[in-house]
Amino acid sequence: MTVKAKKRNPLQPPDRTYLALGLEGSANKLGAGIIQHAQDGSTSVLSNIRHTYITPPGEGFQPRDTALHHRQWAMTVIQEAVEKSGVSMRDLDCICYTKGPGMGAPLQSVALVARTLSLLYDKPLVGVNHCVGHIEMGRQITGAQNPVVLYVSGGNTQVIAYSRQCYRIFGETLDIAVGNCLDRFARVINLSNDPSPGYNIEQEAKKGKRLVPLPYATKGMDVSLSGILTSIEAYTQDKRFRPHGAPEGDPEDIITPQDLCFSLQETVFSMLVEITERAMAHIGSKEVLCVGGVGCNERLQEMMGIMAAERGGRVFATDERFCIDNGIMIAQAGLLAHRMGHETPLQDSTCTQRFRTDEVHVAWRA
Amino acid sequence: MSSTIALIESAQPISQGAEAKVYKAYLHNGGTPVLVKHRFRKQYRHPTLDATLTKSRVAGEARALLKCLRAGVNVPGVRMVDSAEGVLCIEWIDGQSVRKLLPGGEEEEELDDATDLTGESSQNAAVSSLRGYDVDELMSLIGREIGKMHQADIVHGDLTTSNMMLHSSSQGQRPRLVLIDFGLSYYSTLVEDKAVDLYVLERAFSSTHPDSEPLFASVLKAYEAQMGKEWSAIGKRLDEGAPSFRCNLKSS
Repeated sequence: MTVKAKKRNPLQPPDRTYLALGLEGSANKLGAGIIQHAQDGSTSVLSNIRHTYITPPGEGFQPRDTALHHRQWAMTVIQEAVEKSGVSMRDLDCICYTKGPGMGAPLQSVALVARTLSLLYDKPLVGVNHCVGHIEMGRQITGAQNPVVLYVSGGNTQVIAYSRQCYRIFGETLDIAVGNCLDRFARVINLSNDPSPGYNIEQEAKKGKRLVPLPYATKGMDVSLSGILTSIEAYTQDKRFRPHGAPEGDPEDIITPQDLCFSLQETVFSMLVEITERAMAHIGSKEVLCVGGVGCNERLQEMMGIMAAERGGRVFATDERFCIDNGIMIAQAGLLAHRMGHETPLQDSTCTQRFRTDEVHVAWRA
Repeated sequence: MSSTIALIESAQPISQGAEAKVYKAYLHNGGTPVLVKHRFRKQYRHPTLDATLTKSRVAGEARALLKCLRAGVNVPGVRMVDSAEGVLCIEWIDGQSVRKLLPGGEEEEELDDATDLTGESSQNAAVSSLRGYDVDELMSLIGREIGKMHQADIVHGDLTTSNMMLHSSSQGQRPRLVLIDFGLSYYSTLVEDKAVDLYVLERAFSSTHPDSEPLFASVLKAYEAQMGKEWSAIGKRLDEGAPSFRCNLKSS
């Protein structure tokens, strides 16, 4: 099992095979996945299906349209997840859904689907904190025991460590999330949202050479990112800025969109690595786990790896299947809670846009 | 450049935190020791970015210390600054951290951020004695020093009992309370920032020392006396509590 600790593990080994369906839709990804906790203690992902709502370049996703997308695709995605897993809805132990945090309308659409399925098949519901889902899936996939977690996505930026049945937030963003900062800049320079704006920024940054000065705002273990976004946007109005790269024979002193992507990544990732390092020094941990959509950025993983190696530790990261929002992580965290006897009664199966990581009682860890 | 590097090479390592390595060294033979804080190069960071940051942080820390010294706050004196190399040399403070002098502070010392500068010198001193002070007196010393620092518009940024030392100065005199580690300090005139500084200290007290409430109350009392007119706004902000402070500080 995922949970190993020196102290007695509160999670009993499974007495039989457990199955859970996880439904995720807190942002523009709709995900469904089925996880299995076998009697021998192994965990397997039976299916992990995702459909992403992609908007045209220059546009973000609006809550109303995103909710509509989730409603339109819910049946297709869930059906595919069930078919691919080879199990029947009747075999499930519970249906897990994202309770929050996230955008209200998309969360509600998915919660409604979860409630309906729960009534149809008479299965208990488990409401899951999205952030805890990321952490538990990351731990499961990488096998990291007790890492400092850097959770970076479009809506969240947090440095988290486990302590006494709670995922404590050591540092976080004081304003916008790092993914939000990257996505919004992608919109400014008109990058495609397919497969994701962050991915396209990463590809552009590889071609960048020049580091432009940007604010660097770490405050203890917190970061502030909104000023950096304003500042990098201002560079696109600079007279040295060439939106289509360097024309022939142009003088050296120009700034390209690639340079800006490069500078943005180098600056914000340095800040994130710095606060993570501070948290590691503070609690004396040598493992780092990167989760969330931005966590699959290879430059961030590389920088984190260098920092961890300097401290004699190592970095754990996963790929886009588990980093980017997905249903399986909700199933994993939900099933862990369910095995500890947790259930969300129908009348409490609400969702909430604000649901902090440290509000969850992590009953399944020692 | 080479002389700074040579100094570090001759120095005796004390501790390593997230940001800097700390050494004990001698600027000249037979002289008094100095504490060398070396912000070493971070390999993960872009070299240009790293150089700019290191330079401004070393200069910023030195500037904050100088401002405190000018305002009469007890802080280590600045002995040498080489911001290009990331090196700051400050007065060596012989003494013991307040954390170790108070009940509960001995435990988990190694878990704390390694910027604790007490070094080996503290270990041979007696743990239980407060060097001739009673607890209340010590707390008012703390409150007064923080008050003086805030009057100079310096916010420490990391107030904990590990970052305060009782400095056993020359014989006959009573030890002074010295504030150390200005690595996270900054200049601010905002009530909010000063209130956060106190709030961070309150959290540090309650997470390290059992039954800390009366202790922190006497710190505040002395702080209030020191701050005079400025106190009412800060006190009000502190009473309003934590909406804009980080939630997670609630559960330590």
